[in-house]
Amino acid sequence: MEAFGFRDDMLDGTAPVIENSLQLIAFSIGEQTYGVEITTVREIRAWNGATPLPNTRDYVRGVINLRGTIVPIFDLRARFGDGPTSPTKNHVVVVMSAGSKWVGMLVDAVSDILTVSKDDIHAVPEGNSIDMELLSGIVTHDGKMVGLIDLQAVVSGSKAEG
Amino acid sequence: MSDLDDFKATYFDECSELLTELEEQFAAIEAGDPSSQRINAAFRAIHSIKGGAGAFGFADLVAFSHAYESLLDKVREGQLALSSDVIALCIHANDIVADFVNAARGAASLPSGHGAAEKARFDALFRGAAVAEGDDGEPIEDFDIDFTPIRVDLGKDEPAADADEQADDADTFASPPLAQDGVWQIRFWPHSELYARANDPQLLFRELATLGELTVFPVFDVIPPLLEFEPFGVYCAWDMTLVSSRVTDASIREVFEFVDGDCDLEVVQVRAAITPVQAEELEGWPIEADDDFDLMPEPPALELVAEVVADVPMPSFAALADEVGASPVVPRPDTAAEPAEQPASLAAVEALPADAEGDRRNGVQSIRVDLDKVDRVVNMVGELVITQSMLTQQMDDVLRARYQELVRGLEVLAQTTRDLQDSVMAIRAQPVKSVFSRMPRLARELAQKTGKKIRLEMAGENTEIDKTVIEQLADPLMHMIRNSADHGIEMPEKRVSAGKPETGTIRLSAEQAGGNILIAVEDDGAGINREKVLKVARSRGIVAPDQPLSDEQIDQLIFAPGFSTADAVSDISGRGVGMDVVLSNIRKIGGSVHVRSWSGRGSRLTLRLPLTLAVLDVMLVKVAGHPYVIPLSSIVETQQRARSNFERVPSGGNVLRVRGEYLQVIDLADRFDLPTEVEDRHRFVVICEADGATKVALVVDEIIGQQQVVIKSLEENFESIEGIAGGTILGDGNVALIVDVPGLRTNGLRRNAA
Repeated sequence: MEAFGFRDDMLDGTAPVIENSLQLIAFSIGEQTYGVEITTVREIRAWNGATPLPNTRDYVRGVINLRGTIVPIFDLRARFGDGPTSPTKNHVVVVMSAGSKWVGMLVDAVSDILTVSKDDIHAVPEGNSIDMELLSGIVTHDGKMVGLIDLQAVVSGSKAEG
Repeated sequence: MSDLDDFKATYFDECSELLTELEEQFAAIEAGDPSSQRINAAFRAIHSIKGGAGAFGFADLVAFSHAYESLLDKVREGQLALSSDVIALCIHANDIVADFVNAARGAASLPSGHGAAEKARFDALFRGAAVAEGDDGEPIEDFDIDFTPIRVDLGKDEPAADADEQADDADTFASPPLAQDGVWQIRFWPHSELYARANDPQLLFRELATLGELTVFPVFDVIPPLLEFEPFGVYCAWDMTLVSSRVTDASIREVFEFVDGDCDLEVVQVRAAITPVQAEELEGWPIEADDDFDLMPEPPALELVAEVVADVPMPSFAALADEVGASPVVPRPDTAAEPAEQPASLAAVEALPADAEGDRRNGVQSIRVDLDKVDRVVNMVGELVITQSMLTQQMDDVLRARYQELVRGLEVLAQTTRDLQDSVMAIRAQPVKSVFSRMPRLARELAQKTGKKIRLEMAGENTEIDKTVIEQLADPLMHMIRNSADHGIEMPEKRVSAGKPETGTIRLSAEQAGGNILIAVEDDGAGINREKVLKVARSRGIVAPDQPLSDEQIDQLIFAPGFSTADAVSDISGRGVGMDVVLSNIRKIGGSVHVRSWSGRGSRLTLRLPLTLAVLDVMLVKVAGHPYVIPLSSIVETQQRARSNFERVPSGGNVLRVRGEYLQVIDLADRFDLPTEVEDRHRFVVICEADGATKVALVVDEIIGQQQVVIKSLEENFESIEGIAGGTILGDGNVALIVDVPGLRTNGLRRNAA
């Protein structure tokens, strides 16, 4: 159970926050990089298994015990329609707050903390409906595309089914 | 929320406690214990309700509780017999007081004139008592004894005090209609504490004014020079003159009871009240009394009192009168010292020990705590218990050998944690009395409505149980007692012809049995009419026409939703929404209900309840390697699958035959879509009660054992899931899901139908 409060030790090394900029936690699923706003992230912990939940959506991996509360874990890869992740000890759960609820996202690895300008956020090109639903925007960092996750959409799941 | 709202909230909290107290006392009195302690306790309760109501200005409540209180006062002074009529009136009045309290809280609105009839009866009884004491000689004799003054010497101006007492005495026999009213001089000097406690002198004046004709003069001569002026000092006192025929020193002081100690109070009677007869005899005396009454009466006025006293043929008074005549003392209102506490009657003196006891009881230190705060502590202790057991599990032999101190520390931690858990649970525990005390009254009403004779016996009222459980208990208990009264107990004639005592007995009892509380409602009535129950059940399609049922199963049918054997719907029962409410409520709090019936001899309903809701007793099972827990309260039995009699039904599912009964089989691995590698013959069957008499058989891979768990909500961070009642965290830190047995069953039915 390697849980680390990254805020203090990780933020120190980053560039000073520029106005009109956004700090993201970037994580990878396969080759693709995604990001969420750093303020929504509560904790990053190594994958340590989860108790599966029956009768629920297939991208919900199950629930874990986070210091006494039960937190559901969403398999982000499965959520994007690429089939379930086969998690190992090296996989990572990013615990975030979505509204009043805490949820965990199962991802392959956390890669970086990025500071991007809000002006650099592009709209998601029309086309794939899953991209449209689950991403709130796209930014470019070091020549790579980073998809901004729309946490509410990922969690609610209503749009995906409807 | 303003301070005032806070105070009000506290007051309403107290009111509900006091109302319970009233109810309890009258229940005991009605049951044949009209001891003075009970009357006094009831009096204190209504008095406190009135006092608070006065402070907040709930006029209706004050008026009604005042009438009620006055009546009780007569009763406790022995001037009014506590007949069954009076008791019934009082019990009914408790409801009305509760109505007024609710209205004051804003929870309900009352029609104008609510409780007026009862108030009128109170007043009539009160007057009746007052007349009775004036009419014949006996009560006067009583009065003489009652009003033997007990003096508390404050070391002040003694002669004046003496005179006061005597004047006081003189007043006491003058209760019939008078030719001349008594005059009282009152000096009221509030201390700053009085205002600090949010008392309002105006309210006191208003209440005094209800006693007679009141004139109030402010006294400003205590105002200091501006330099010595303290911002929060009190520099105003009041002199009051009260003209009334019926007040006594005690009744004036009673008005100030709530500010006792926060003010200086002097009450002096400057002229006794005089009856018409006496007034006649007194003609010729030099009193310029009525109109321009002097606050400093002349000595003759007092001699007059003495003379009047001497005329009354009673030795004690005569002796007193002699004394007064011999040494007439002028009571000077400005210097007269009055004993601070002057019990008005012997009855009051007798009451003192009880009061003292009450005070001591109040002295038991208690605080009001928000239930949320307690719950938070309960939850945290739950976490602590889990963490502690997790730590203990981590200790392997190697560690044990190497770190003996650590092991010892862990053992102490385990012990302390258990104690802590017990103590925290004890905070939430309350005696079931709070629910039981509402039942005698229900039984009475039922007896009246049905015309049956019913006696309610109660036992184990002090058994303690979690507060949330208690709250869920009231409705089921009511339904159970209704059921007993309506269906169980027979009409008196029928009972007599069956050779039973005319009065039927319903016995309500509570006891602790291990980690459970058993609450039983027994009656000595006719028992369940199985033939009729079965017939009704068949006609309503609750039971298939050819299905054979055991007696026990038939008894259980009374819990089926919508089931009723009553031929006509009465306002007591018969709508068929009784016993299934009992079952569902009890199940909701993790309990179970059992019924036993003996034809012609009665029946018994037993509720088995968990001690607390925060901790659930469960059986830990495994399905496909994942832990699940099943509430122990719903489990009937377990068996190995290999030994179970499974049969196929056309839908492709299985049914289990247990002792002639066929049960729906739910394989948790199938239902939860989990791949299990355990061979069928090594698996287990857990038979659970789903809804009342309906049982289901759950198939699981492995049974691990029993344990206690803390229930966690899934909805807090996710959503509710079919077939899962919640989650819990096991000793190893993993999450186990709680199986929702009734939920599984309905879910299964729907699937089969689809």
